[in-house]
Amino acid sequence: MRKTVILLLGLAGVALFYFTFVSAGKVFRSDWQLPQSPGEKQARYRLVLITQELETPFWGKVGAGALEEAERVGASIEVWGSYGKNREDFLKKIEIAIDSKVDGIIVQGLDTEEFKQLTKVKAAFYGIPIVTVANDVPMADSLRRTYVGSNQYLAGQLIARQLLSDMGSTGKVVLLGDSRREYYQQQRINGIYDVLKEYPNVLTEYAETTDAREQVISATQDLMNRLPDVQAFVAVNANTAEAMIQEIGRRSRVEPYHIYSFDDSHDSMSLLKQGKLDGVIEQSPETMGRISVNLMTEWLSGETVPLDSNGYFTEIRMLKAADER
Amino acid sequence: MNGIQKKIWTLAAVVLFIMAAIWIALTYYNQKTQDQYNDILQRYLRMNEVTTASQQTVTSLNNYLLSPSRDNLSQLEQSKEKLRKARIDVIELRNPGNEFALTNYMNLIDSLVETTERSLTFQSEKETEASGNAFSEADRISKYISEMSLTLLDAELKTYDRFYRGIIEQSAELKKLGIWLLLLITFLLLLFTYAFSLSITRPVLKLTQAAKELSRGRFDLRIEVESNDEISFLAKMFDRMRININNLISEIQQKAQLENELQQSKLLLQESQLRSLQSQINPHFLFNTLNTLSKKAYLEGSEETSDLLASVAALLRYNLKRLDRSVTLYDEVRVLRQYVEIQKARFTERLRFHTDIDESCLYVQLPGLTLQPIVENAVIYAIEPEEDGGEIWFRIVDGADRVTVEIEDDGPGMAEERIRQILEERPVESEGGHTTGIGLGNVVRRLRLFYGCDDVIAIESGRERGTKVRLSIPKARESGKHDQASDRG
Repeated sequence: MRKTVILLLGLAGVALFYFTFVSAGKVFRSDWQLPQSPGEKQARYRLVLITQELETPFWGKVGAGALEEAERVGASIEVWGSYGKNREDFLKKIEIAIDSKVDGIIVQGLDTEEFKQLTKVKAAFYGIPIVTVANDVPMADSLRRTYVGSNQYLAGQLIARQLLSDMGSTGKVVLLGDSRREYYQQQRINGIYDVLKEYPNVLTEYAETTDAREQVISATQDLMNRLPDVQAFVAVNANTAEAMIQEIGRRSRVEPYHIYSFDDSHDSMSLLKQGKLDGVIEQSPETMGRISVNLMTEWLSGETVPLDSNGYFTEIRMLKAADER
Repeated sequence: MNGIQKKIWTLAAVVLFIMAAIWIALTYYNQKTQDQYNDILQRYLRMNEVTTASQQTVTSLNNYLLSPSRDNLSQLEQSKEKLRKARIDVIELRNPGNEFALTNYMNLIDSLVETTERSLTFQSEKETEASGNAFSEADRISKYISEMSLTLLDAELKTYDRFYRGIIEQSAELKKLGIWLLLLITFLLLLFTYAFSLSITRPVLKLTQAAKELSRGRFDLRIEVESNDEISFLAKMFDRMRININNLISEIQQKAQLENELQQSKLLLQESQLRSLQSQINPHFLFNTLNTLSKKAYLEGSEETSDLLASVAALLRYNLKRLDRSVTLYDEVRVLRQYVEIQKARFTERLRFHTDIDESCLYVQLPGLTLQPIVENAVIYAIEPEEDGGEIWFRIVDGADRVTVEIEDDGPGMAEERIRQILEERPVESEGGHTTGIGLGNVVRRLRLFYGCDDVIAIESGRERGTKVRLSIPKARESGKHDQASDRG
C-alpha cells in the first residue's frame, strides 16, 4: 500500500516536473529574435521595375527574370506597379520612384502625355535613367535610354503571315485595336498592314475599343453585324481577346473563325489551350526582365554607354492552337 | 543551530528559494518582453514621426508662401529640422525586409526637403508660379511619404508576423506554465510539509507512547527515536532517566530484601540469645540441683553416688563454660577423667580405661570438649554393645613440634565409608541416639578450624581391629588464628 502510494506520488512528481520544464522551455526559448539590421553594405544599385499590370503571368515572368538577374549582378530591385492598367496609380509609382532617387527605372512604356512628362522632365531632372520594357515609347518622346522587348512590328508581320497561311489569300479580317493607340500597338498594326497590303483580296477592317468589357462586346457586335462574312479576328490588344471571343461564341461557333492575339494578357494562354484562339504571339518576358536589368546595370557602371537607342529585341514566336493540343 | 528550528528554517528557505527563482524568471521574462514591445512601438512611432514631420513641413511651407513672415520661416526651419532628425532615426529601422523601401523612404524625405528649399528659392526670386509648382510637388511627396509609411508599416507587420505570433503564443504558454508551476509547487510543498511535520510529530508521538508506557510502570521498554533534533535528545534523556529509575527500583528492591533478611536474622539472633540465656539458666539450675543431690547422697552415706554426682556436675559446668573457648590439654584430660569416672560407674568392670600421659606436654591449647566426644564415641561403639566390655587406651606422646593424642579402642571398628564421611565433614545420620549432640564430625570440624590445617586428625580402623583416633596437635599455634577462632560465637 505504502509502496504504491510512494510510486504514484513519484510518478506524479516526475510528470509535473516534465510538463513544467517543457512549458518553461517553450516560454523562455527566444528563437523569435527581432530581424537584425543588415551588416553588409547596401546593394550596388537600387532598381525599380514598374508595370501597369501586376500579377499577370506575362509580367510575373518579366519580374521573375529581372529579380533573378538583379540577384546575379548584385543589384536590388523591386517590382512596383498598378493592377489592371490603373494609369493614375502607375504614374504615381513612377513619380515616387523618381522622388525616391532610385538608380534606375525599368518601366512598361505608356504612350501618354503624363508619362512622357514624367520621364522626359522629372526623371531627366533627377538624372535617373529610364528603360522601357515590353511596351515601347519612342525615345524622342520619353528620353528612354533603350527599349527591351519584342519587336512589335515583326510580331504584327508574324501574325499576318500566319493569318494568310491559315485563311488563304482571300477573306475579311477584323483588327480590333486599342482606342488609346499606344505606340507598341501601332507597331503591331503597322506590321500586319505591311504584310496584308500585298494581298488585295484580304480585306481588313480596323476597329478601336477600350479595355472595358462592355465596349469590347459592343464593338464586336457592331463589327459582326457589319461584316457577317468575316473570317478572321486579330485582337491587337491582348486584353480584349477574351471578351471578343465570348461575344463571337454567343453568335455562332468559335472554331470556324481564325482568331489571333498576343500573349501579354492573363487569359491568352488558357484561350489558346481551349482552342478558341488559333494563334498567339509568344514573347520572352523572362528574357526581357533579365536583359533590361543587365543593360541598366551596365549603363550605370559605364560598361555600355550609350545603349542602343533602337532597343534590344527579344525572341518572339507563333504559338498555334494546333500545336498546343 | 537547533534541530527543529533548522528544519523550519530549511523549509522556509526552500519556499523562499522557489519563490525567488520564479520571481526572477518572471521578471526577466517580463523585462525581455517589455523591451521587445518597446522596440516595436519605437519603430512605429518613428515612422509616424516622419509622416507627421513631413506634413508639418508642408503646412509650414504653405503658411510661409501665403504670408512670408519671419515667424513662419522659423517655424518652417524648425519643422525641416525635425524632419531631418526623423530621417536619421529612421536609419536604425533598417532590416533585410525593408531595406529597399527604407532607402526610398529616406530619399523621399530628402526630396521633400529639397523641393521645399526649391520652393523657397523660387519664392525669394519672386517666381510665384515655379514656387507654387514646387509646393504642389512637395505636397505630393508628403503624401507619398505618408503612403510609404503605410507601406513600411505593412512590410513591418509582414516581417514581424512570425514574431508577433510568437509573442502571442508565448503569452498563452506563460499561462500554462503558471498553472504547471502552481501545481508543481503545491505538490512539492505538500510533500515537503508532510515530511517535515512527520519528522517532528513522529518522534513526539513515540515519546508520548514511551511516556505512557512509563506512566503505566513498564520500565523495561527501550525508548528509541530516530531523529536528529531535540526530540531525539529528549528521548535519549528520557531513556537514561528510565534506566536510572529502573536501576533505582532494583536497588530499592535489593535493599528491601536485604533489610527483610536483616530483620529476620535479627529476630533469629534475639531468639537465639533468649534461648542461650534460657539454656544457661537451666544448666545452672541442673548444676545446683546436681550439687545438692551430691551432698544429699554423701550425707546419706552413699559416697560413691555422691562422687558420681559431683563428677557429673563438674562435667556439666565444664560443658557450659568451655564450649566456645580454647582450653589446655590438661583441662581436657581432667574432664576426660571425670567423664570416664562417670562411665565407669555405669559399666563397672566392663570398661577398662588405660592412660599413658606425658605430663610435660599438657600445656598445649586445643578447643574445649575435643577429647570427650571421641572417648564417648569409643564407649558407645566399643564398650556398650559388648557383654564383656572393652578396653580404651588414651595416650599423649610428645613429638618434635606436635603432640600426638591417641584414643584407641578394641571394638568392632568403623566402616571405610563412615571414616571418609567423618573426615570429609559430610553430614552423618546418627546411629542410635547416644550422642551428646556434639558428634565426631563436629570435633573434626572444630579442630580443623582451630588449627587451620587438615591433617590434625586421622582415623585408623578395620573390621574387628578396633578404632584408633589420632590427633596431632601443633605445639606452637599462630596467635592470629587462635584469636579468630576464639572470637567465634
